[in-house]
Amino acid sequence: MIEHLSNDLIVDFVHGELEPAADARAHAHLVTCATCTSEVNAERTLREFLRDAAVASEREMPSGINAAIWEQIRAAKPGPFAALTSLFKPMIAIPVAAVLLAGGYFATAATHHESPSIAASYYLQAHAVQSSQGPLSERTGAIRAAVAEAYDGGYPATAAYGAAR
Amino acid sequence: MGAPRAPLEPPTPEQSAFLERAMSQYGKATYNFAFRLTNNEADARDLTQDAFIRVYRAWRSFEPGTSFLSWIYRIVTNLYRDELRRRKGRFHEEIPEDNAPQAFRGERPLATNPIDDYVDRQIGEPLSRALADLSPDQRQVVILADIEEYSYQEIAEIMGCSIGTVRSRLHRARALLRRLVERAQQQQQR
Repeated sequence: MIEHLSNDLIVDFVHGELEPAADARAHAHLVTCATCTSEVNAERTLREFLRDAAVASEREMPSGINAAIWEQIRAAKPGPFAALTSLFKPMIAIPVAAVLLAGGYFATAATHHESPSIAASYYLQAHAVQSSQGPLSERTGAIRAAVAEAYDGGYPATAAYGAAR
Repeated sequence: MGAPRAPLEPPTPEQSAFLERAMSQYGKATYNFAFRLTNNEADARDLTQDAFIRVYRAWRSFEPGTSFLSWIYRIVTNLYRDELRRRKGRFHEEIPEDNAPQAFRGERPLATNPIDDYVDRQIGEPLSRALADLSPDQRQVVILADIEEYSYQEIAEIMGCSIGTVRSRLHRARALLRRLVERAQQQQQR
């Protein structure tokens, strides 16, 4: 008695889903068995019918679907988290950071009213000393002479400096 | 479809470009897949629209180099299954795995538009008639295996089930389809 291929095995064979060994056995059987060959052909015909019918009935996607999808997307509004994160985008973050820095600077300046730690007279004295000690100063000799004369006459150094100018 | 939707976020330029390209390249295939599943114009529209909105939401989860079509078919499959469950409440109980093939002639379409239905049946009558007698899962596995020509492994990934389940569903669907063809041939001979 001939052992025929089962219907399930024929379905798997037609779909190319048999393991290599089983596929080889099926091929070998089909060479000698007209009944199973007929079954395989019937399955193949059915598959071709399904495919041909699908191709024949294929249709374009209605354009309304495309429009409806974009309409739904255009109507989207950012959620609360997205609104928060948008603050960190550069276009917004840079001006915000500038305002915060300026505010911080002026707030600090308004709360600190310290007087200058160096009096203006210090700069005058320092300038006089530097001018008098400079090797290329044309007035160096005159200043020294004036200072010496002032000390000799009992005047303070500042008065002597003023006289030298 | 009537599933509740979370609010959408406005698109980034990359997201818009991704969706636009997806719709132009795969819109037709997705719509035809949805139409063959539902056999109904209105449901196919809703299913396609919802699938691309889901693509829009989850566009970052798509892995470049993998099949986009497989991905969106999986999305369509899940949406279709969710919708059937929502409407009928007992989708799985209708398809007992161990029972003999069943005809689902009494299956109510998800949405009914008499004019669309009439036109659809005139255009794709042979395929519609053949697939309408299958259960949703059987119909889906036949579409994927015979029309889209996916392997059992790919179908299992799309449908979210084992290869064994794909195999058994396809075996039952094919047996039923062949009986239908034989019956049609007998009627023609009379």
